[in-house]
Amino acid sequence: MKHDFKELKLDRVTRRFAGSGGHVFNALSELTLTIRRGEFIALLGPSGCGKSTALNCIAGLLPLSGGTIRLDDERIDPLPPERRGFGMVFQNYALFPHMSVMKNIGFGLRMQGVPAAEIAPRVAKAMRLVQLSGQEHKLPGQLSGGQQQRVAIARAIVIEPPLILMDEPLSNLDAKLRLETRAEIRRIHRELDRATVYVTHDQDEALSLADRIVVMKDGVVQQIAAPHEVYAQPSNLHVARFMGYRNVLHLTVRGERGDRVLLEAPDIKLTGVRKQPLAGSRASVAMRPEEVTIATGPAAENIITGRVDNIEYGGRDSLIDIVTPGGTRLHLRGPTDVALGADVHVHVPPERVLVYPYDGSEG
Amino acid sequence: MSATPTVVAELPAPHAPFDRALLLVLPATVFMLALFIYPFVYGLILSFEPAQGGWLANYQKFFTTDNLWTTIGKTLKLALPATIINVGVALPIAYKMRVRSRWQRIVTTLLVVPITLGTVLIAEGMLTYFGPKGWLAQFLQLTHIYEGAIRLTHNYWGVLISLVISGFPFAFLLILSYVTGIDPVLARAASTLGADSKAQFRHIYLPLLAPGLAMCFCLAFVQAFSVFPSAVLLGAPAGPTRVISIAAYEAAFEQYDYSLASAIAMIMGFVQLVIVAFVLSLRNWFYKGPVTGGKG
Repeated sequence: MKHDFKELKLDRVTRRFAGSGGHVFNALSELTLTIRRGEFIALLGPSGCGKSTALNCIAGLLPLSGGTIRLDDERIDPLPPERRGFGMVFQNYALFPHMSVMKNIGFGLRMQGVPAAEIAPRVAKAMRLVQLSGQEHKLPGQLSGGQQQRVAIARAIVIEPPLILMDEPLSNLDAKLRLETRAEIRRIHRELDRATVYVTHDQDEALSLADRIVVMKDGVVQQIAAPHEVYAQPSNLHVARFMGYRNVLHLTVRGERGDRVLLEAPDIKLTGVRKQPLAGSRASVAMRPEEVTIATGPAAENIITGRVDNIEYGGRDSLIDIVTPGGTRLHLRGPTDVALGADVHVHVPPERVLVYPYDGSEG
Repeated sequence: MSATPTVVAELPAPHAPFDRALLLVLPATVFMLALFIYPFVYGLILSFEPAQGGWLANYQKFFTTDNLWTTIGKTLKLALPATIINVGVALPIAYKMRVRSRWQRIVTTLLVVPITLGTVLIAEGMLTYFGPKGWLAQFLQLTHIYEGAIRLTHNYWGVLISLVISGFPFAFLLILSYVTGIDPVLARAASTLGADSKAQFRHIYLPLLAPGLAMCFCLAFVQAFSVFPSAVLLGAPAGPTRVISIAAYEAAFEQYDYSLASAIAMIMGFVQLVIVAFVLSLRNWFYKGPVTGGKG
């Protein structure tokens, strides 16, 4: 088992499951990804998208149906989990209930045959790293959720794994603790200088933690890119929807110039940026509520008129819904003094109107 | 239903009104008193009222008569090995059966079938199969695998085999339920930390199962210690399988000495109690809390 590495290479990693009635489905299709030392990778997607399957395949808890995994030059996908030596943090922590905090954290070292005299200082160091000193002799059942979480992290990192795998580690914590632990995970990652693969369905977690985000849907990778790119330039409509582009309109294409596209509906005229090659006369556009604003002065293009239909007060600003005369609903963020029922003009810059091939499906 | 606000139910006043739900334990209490406590106390008192001699005469007779006191040893010699075999064999099989598979249901069904057969039926079957002219003996001699005389009935071995057949399914089902109650994520976590399947069993499953195994051992032992029909039908009830229940039966229904029979039953209960208390005291060495690894 190695502690140091340059890169972990996933090559067309595939996992199939037999569903009911002999029907076979791909939980994970041809995931190809190279993880370099020091990187923080987030696997992001809704439940059932294959992100946990990918993590379990890397850990060795699920055999592959196809593809290979290499750690530098060594092929590791035929190895059982105990010979890969990747640290893993489970969603429900999976602490050993009959062992004290110290024994839990020292378990991996014991299994590797590290001499007892060496285990104690290493456990103490890991406990300091996750700020758990003083809890050595408690059983997991006597700890709070946040403390259990930190024991799970300490247990995974004390074996100095080349790769740390985390499966939605924050989903059982309350909002405040989640923010604190998130910062802590990032700090620990920096201090260890190994690599982390982090599974989450929460886009905020992925954006704030990761160096690169892998967005997945139905077992298929949709986009692999840095957080700012996934946020601002989603590669397809699915990623856009998942990253908070709540306004998706289906419009008719009137013309294309360069990557600019002119689109139309009876009561809407929009210019946008083409993100994927278009086919046919219809296209779908995606816009973030934050980037649609209430127009104050005259603007040349991309003005939509509508009536305020709903207001959700949000403190700094409000989440406003407007409905166009043709019945199209738009979400936007605006000042808190807008009145319900008022007629407003809203504006969105053309470069923030992302145009994708027509997709009539919802959600 | 009274119109008492629910707040009162949640925060009882210093003088909480009598909770009528407690009345629900009444039938069970009556049942226990009439069918367990009373007969037990009656038997205990009866055992101190011998037909002849002082109040301890029955106990003196038991521990000074050769074909009485030796029954304790003979019964233990059957019950302890049978229990150890049942628990010891059921554990690895139940451990293997913990993961859902195609074979799980078939194997479990096959192993559990004997529990539906009575002891007498098992004894009849064994006489036909294991007897000197039984199928097993005929098969072994026909195929020249073993040519000597095969004696597996009407002796110690016959009773031991029957105790294993009738006691195994019980131990297996009990242990299977303990094993499947342990969160499999714990073993997966252990494997990512370098524990192979042997180490997972030793460090995760065994310690978490220990309290359940102790309980299973006690129940299986009590069941085996009270062996009666198979000791008569398959054993040598005048010799090596003269178990303590046979001694009690003879005292009660052949000599009509109910007082002596009660004393034997009391001694039998006491021996069981000693073993059970010993095994359960071992449980205190182990962790006894919930067997999951955190928030669900």
